[in-house]
Amino acid sequence: MKKDIVIIGGGAAGLAAALGAYDPSLDMLIIERGAMLGGILGQCIHHGFGLEVYKEELTGPEFANKLIQECHEKKIPYVLDTTVIDIEKKASFIILLSSIKDGLYHIEAKKVILTTGCYERTRGAIDIPGDRPKGIMPAGSAQRYLNMEGYLVGKNIFILGSGDIGLIMARRMTLEGAKVHGVADIMPYSNGLTRNIVQCLDDYQIPLYLSHTVTKIEGRERLERITINEVDQNYQPIIGTEKTFEVDTLLLSIGLIPDVKLFNHLKFDKHPITKSAIVNQHYESSIKGLYVCGNALHVHDLVDWVVIESKHCGSQAKMNLIHNQNDTLHKIDVIPKDHIRYVIPQLISFDEYSETIELKFRSTKKITEGTLEIIQHDRVIYSKKMKHVVPAEMKHVHLPFHMIQKDAPILVSMKEVCS
Amino acid sequence: MKDYVIIGSGIIGSLIAKELSKYQVDIMVLEKENDVVNGQTVANSAIIHAGYDLKPGTLKAKLCVKGNAMYDDLEKELSIPLLKTGGLVVAKNEKELDDLKRIYDQAIQNGIKGVSIINQETLRKKEPHLKSSLVAALDLPTTKVTFPWQVAMAALTFAKANGAQIKTNAKVTNITYQNGMFQVEINDEEWIETKHIISCAGVFSDHIARMIEGIMPYQILPRKGEYYVLDKRVKGLFQHVIYPLPNKKGKGVLIVPQTHGNILLGPTSTDISDKEDLSTTREGYQYIREEVIHLSDDIPFEEIIRSFAGVRAKSTYEDFYIKASKKYPSFYHVAGIDSPGLTAAPAIASYLIEHILDEKLVLKKHMNLEIQGFKLFHEHNDYDKKALIQSYPKHGHIVCKCECVTEQDIIDAISHPIGSDTIKGIKKRVRAGSGLCQGGYCEHLVLKIIARETNQDVTKINYASKNSNILNAIDEEI
Repeated sequence: MKKDIVIIGGGAAGLAAALGAYDPSLDMLIIERGAMLGGILGQCIHHGFGLEVYKEELTGPEFANKLIQECHEKKIPYVLDTTVIDIEKKASFIILLSSIKDGLYHIEAKKVILTTGCYERTRGAIDIPGDRPKGIMPAGSAQRYLNMEGYLVGKNIFILGSGDIGLIMARRMTLEGAKVHGVADIMPYSNGLTRNIVQCLDDYQIPLYLSHTVTKIEGRERLERITINEVDQNYQPIIGTEKTFEVDTLLLSIGLIPDVKLFNHLKFDKHPITKSAIVNQHYESSIKGLYVCGNALHVHDLVDWVVIESKHCGSQAKMNLIHNQNDTLHKIDVIPKDHIRYVIPQLISFDEYSETIELKFRSTKKITEGTLEIIQHDRVIYSKKMKHVVPAEMKHVHLPFHMIQKDAPILVSMKEVCS
Repeated sequence: MKDYVIIGSGIIGSLIAKELSKYQVDIMVLEKENDVVNGQTVANSAIIHAGYDLKPGTLKAKLCVKGNAMYDDLEKELSIPLLKTGGLVVAKNEKELDDLKRIYDQAIQNGIKGVSIINQETLRKKEPHLKSSLVAALDLPTTKVTFPWQVAMAALTFAKANGAQIKTNAKVTNITYQNGMFQVEINDEEWIETKHIISCAGVFSDHIARMIEGIMPYQILPRKGEYYVLDKRVKGLFQHVIYPLPNKKGKGVLIVPQTHGNILLGPTSTDISDKEDLSTTREGYQYIREEVIHLSDDIPFEEIIRSFAGVRAKSTYEDFYIKASKKYPSFYHVAGIDSPGLTAAPAIASYLIEHILDEKLVLKKHMNLEIQGFKLFHEHNDYDKKALIQSYPKHGHIVCKCECVTEQDIIDAISHPIGSDTIKGIKKRVRAGSGLCQGGYCEHLVLKIIARETNQDVTKINYASKNSNILNAIDEEI
């Protein structure tokens, strides 16, 4: 089987990439390992999605259905219950697939778009000391059990990490009759959206412990008790600030990591901060013809941004196919500087059809008032005043392509305005 | 009535059961947990040590060196994974060089094959990611790494295929002796009659011994060891088991490549009073990090996916205590089996049978040598895969993508002669949930497969022990 574009992952990013890449003359395929399209949106039954893309407020399943509907209308082909086991790059990509229906089989693709989403960080990644009983799980897993299967994972809950999933689950578990004793975050600020803190914690009188972390887990078989401590500036627990909670469940909302399993035969350049591919402005990785977008590239705050990014990525993959641009293009680096944690893309390629470059970035800290500066050859080529820049919210700017010169890297920097 | 009751299904009990099952005797293995091989055997460094740090002439030294060699035969006999890594004991400075020479002499005395001291340059070639300041190393080519759970599991499967009975959820609560027979009480309610008892109860062996002995020949001094697990993406970063020079508390914090590609960092060494204390500690985490950076600047701490602790059955006797009871000669203590217990395990089994058991045993005429293993679908070659997937289409469904485990792999693990119906039991058997996402993606799938295959409601499926069900029904009145 030969395809022009194969999209791996049928969640929001995959569907949007397919829509972006759609062309009646192209042979496409979406590969989804689950039993239905829509990915993680299916378990996000709360509302708050869609304002950017559809200009209306939708629940996760409603948002997914709109994307699925659009794909159906365009008759974009897809397979379900199918896992990609390996990808090998030869002249084209050779993809090894597996499913109960068709067993093991190969397909060939000219372009591959990875839209595999992200996975949740687990207890092991953050050194929580103590026993290892049942009852400690990522918040997203608890969300799946509750919203997809209809079961509660516990009755007395504590949540570590005030990312959006943690906040949403605090409300959701409360509504289903569990008692949420509190939410702690090691940072002095929440990583969740402000509206979620108000609507999910404040409205239900759930306490938020900022600059706190879990320091002890007790319970041999089932979780019985946790202890939290306040932390100092170096995130070390302060002795004497212990608070204990008798809980049967500790949900972890401590971050998401792009799920780009490095297939045996496919190793692209990775970025240490985003933990995913280094890409150019078309979301193409260091392997020609391999694109990465959505949460598989970097974790987004909103599915709307995932969709916008992935549509763009899909359209770029199509453009590349049409222009048949196979030569290696000249590239320059995009380097994060003062107070900037990372910038996407990390590279800019000089091709014939780019008009504007969208730069997305996150800051390293909260900046009340600042100026974003883009610098090339020690000269500021673009600047923009920005207010209330926080690490939890991704920012973006558009840069006219002609402003950028071919012969030096560009630096992205945030100057803090002292008040 | 049994000929032999073996208490404990860890690596020691399993390998003794396997060896004994070759003879014409009726065996029962008792395990207090709801799954076999659940204690120290699944929480250690997994190293088949050379035996360089053991006092010459001790049982530990003899059985370690012998056991090390026996693993090469076990590899074939039980189809177990064995990584022939070799080991390197590194000296950090000129001062440590003297100590290195001393353990070299000790290694020679213990009869370890192939040992030599290598210089800085050779060390650098063998392990480029070690600190360049390390001056020399003791090269121990017989050091290996195995997957201890699988060794014990394969041994138990062999024993079961050859007639041994294995009873889980069977905690020994009392032992009495009358008319030449032991009565072993299980869970305060059931009695099993047996001619002989072999106690391999790990950290609880003194607890068992106290049921029959007046004067205790040894006491268990439980010692906890904590570890970090690095994701298997780090595979190949270190090829050898890396040891610092041994200290009073043991071998120190090591770097250990694992059979599945992960790397272990650890252990710590802390004396504890509670034998069931498997908690990890902030101090432990700190200690491992501080110690291991003396060995290498290239440890990828960001690849840590898990930490765990195990408890070693150190004893006041110091050497392995493998003896018949003076009071009841048909009760055998196999106790105080701390490091190098895993290495010595096969040699302990044969030592017990050949030198300690007070009975002439007769080999069975027919032995069943074909045992059902846990070879996963992805471990087969392409040709076998095609045939397998035709007969078992559920191999087409990848349930755990981190470790590439199929639905049929899980079904096979549930229905194996020594199967399991818990999330942890399945994780131990096929590694579903052992990878990068630690079950975040596959746990719900595994749970549903277990429920379906065992005809249980999903709310009854346990994470590990009894009463550790993961899901609760939502109360309707709310």
